[in-house]
Amino acid sequence: MSVSSELLVAGFNDAVHDGQQVFRALLTAMSEPGKLQQPNLIAEGPGALNANSWQVALALLDADTPVWLSERLAADAAISSNLRFHCQSPQVDSPQHAAFALCDASDVPDITLLNMGSAEQPDRSTTLIVQVPAISNEPHWTLTGPGIATERQLRIGGLSSTFVEQLIASRQRFPMGIDCIFCSADTLVAVPRSTQIDINMGGR
Amino acid sequence: MSEVATGYNFAYLDEQSKRMIRRALLKAVAIPGFQVPFGGREMPLPHGWGTGGMQVTASVIGQQDTLKVIDQGADDTTNAVSIRRFFARTAGVATTEETAAADLIQTRHRIPETPLRNGQILIYQVPTPEPLRFIEPRDSETIKMHALREYGAMQVKLYEDVARFGHIATSYDYPVMVNRRYMMSPSPIPKFDNPKMDRMPALQLFGAGFEKRIYAVPPYTQVTSLDFDDHPFEVQSWEESCAICAAQDSFLDEVITDDAGSRMFVCSDTDYCRQRVAQQEANP
Ligand SMILES: [Zn+2]
Repeated sequence: MSVSSELLVAGFNDAVHDGQQVFRALLTAMSEPGKLQQPNLIAEGPGALNANSWQVALALLDADTPVWLSERLAADAAISSNLRFHCQSPQVDSPQHAAFALCDASDVPDITLLNMGSAEQPDRSTTLIVQVPAISNEPHWTLTGPGIATERQLRIGGLSSTFVEQLIASRQRFPMGIDCIFCSADTLVAVPRSTQIDINMGGR
Repeated sequence: MSEVATGYNFAYLDEQSKRMIRRALLKAVAIPGFQVPFGGREMPLPHGWGTGGMQVTASVIGQQDTLKVIDQGADDTTNAVSIRRFFARTAGVATTEETAAADLIQTRHRIPETPLRNGQILIYQVPTPEPLRFIEPRDSETIKMHALREYGAMQVKLYEDVARFGHIATSYDYPVMVNRRYMMSPSPIPKFDNPKMDRMPALQLFGAGFEKRIYAVPPYTQVTSLDFDDHPFEVQSWEESCAICAAQDSFLDEVITDDAGSRMFVCSDTDYCRQRVAQQEANP
């Protein structure tokens, strides 16, 4: 597939410093699960991709990172064109071969189809970037584990119960697993494989 | 802010290498204590600077950061001064010797005495990342041992110490378990510093340049030193106190003060010692 120039959006204003700031937000997010980050260094994303998911892609993806797009995002020519143009990431058809998988909350993959790494090389896993409608620290999930002093509350909008069940079930496979980065329009949060998720009963 | 040297990449490292190291860092914090291999070129730097720590610092540091660098606890050794100057020139960042004022602290062989706070990042230079290396020289085997959590050989090694010396003789690079899952080398810090790693509010990142491994301990993560029920883990202690600031709770270095071999003990952490002296002068 070629790149359509009329679909291209801007990358970072300053690739070096903006990329560093987004990475630092991601490092804090991944090392302190449930802690909300708002780097917001970019105004808009391509097509249906929100600005926040776009800046995460710009900060982490390049020619060395095969990327898989969910059906809905793959159908959006603006997204694949911009990923190809700005990141040079090869797009793969199987999530099993992806370093990063990008999806929308309405269009999440079957987690078991992603690469969870192996017992010897758990780092060879797919990192899942999920675009979601809302993120807050209102009580819904109670998170515990490394990076959390006692516990942290997290509510992520738009996720199906099947996805959440699969995510919780994947904890059994630690150190294998999937690290998730959730991106609403202006907020990002990470839930790595080391985080235990308990769903608060009565909350929805 | 210092003047930034032109003609270099920000913080010297190229963006592609930074991205690769950043991706490895995110995996490292997601799997606490697991050694993540990373590829790429070696950073051409003077011997003794610890390329792994340098690569991690270069990939993490931003314009807003204030950097502190310590070598054996001191801010004023040749290596510490050179590394600080290197990042001041190539990244234009502010530097400090004060632990509490630093956002990033790159270290070799010590953890500062001043407790670190959440939001700070401690970056260790690591010579030998594999704690099982002297038990098993083959990577293919140590990787399996970590996968199977097969750490009995290390317990046996430590217990041989107990049998021979009546105590565990290892006093530096004393192995730890991270979040009850991975055995990890804390780098050659004195075991005196091991308890500081446990549930530390700051993020701890470890870079081994020669073996190209990165590992991490997220804030508030359990880090326990290996021991035995009948021989619990103990840290070094001194009869003496610091000859300069009278501290009794800090790691002391023995220094020879004259040709006759007179000796005294002083804090290895020069910033901690200076802070204490300043406080004593302010409140005599
Ligand atoms: Zn002192």
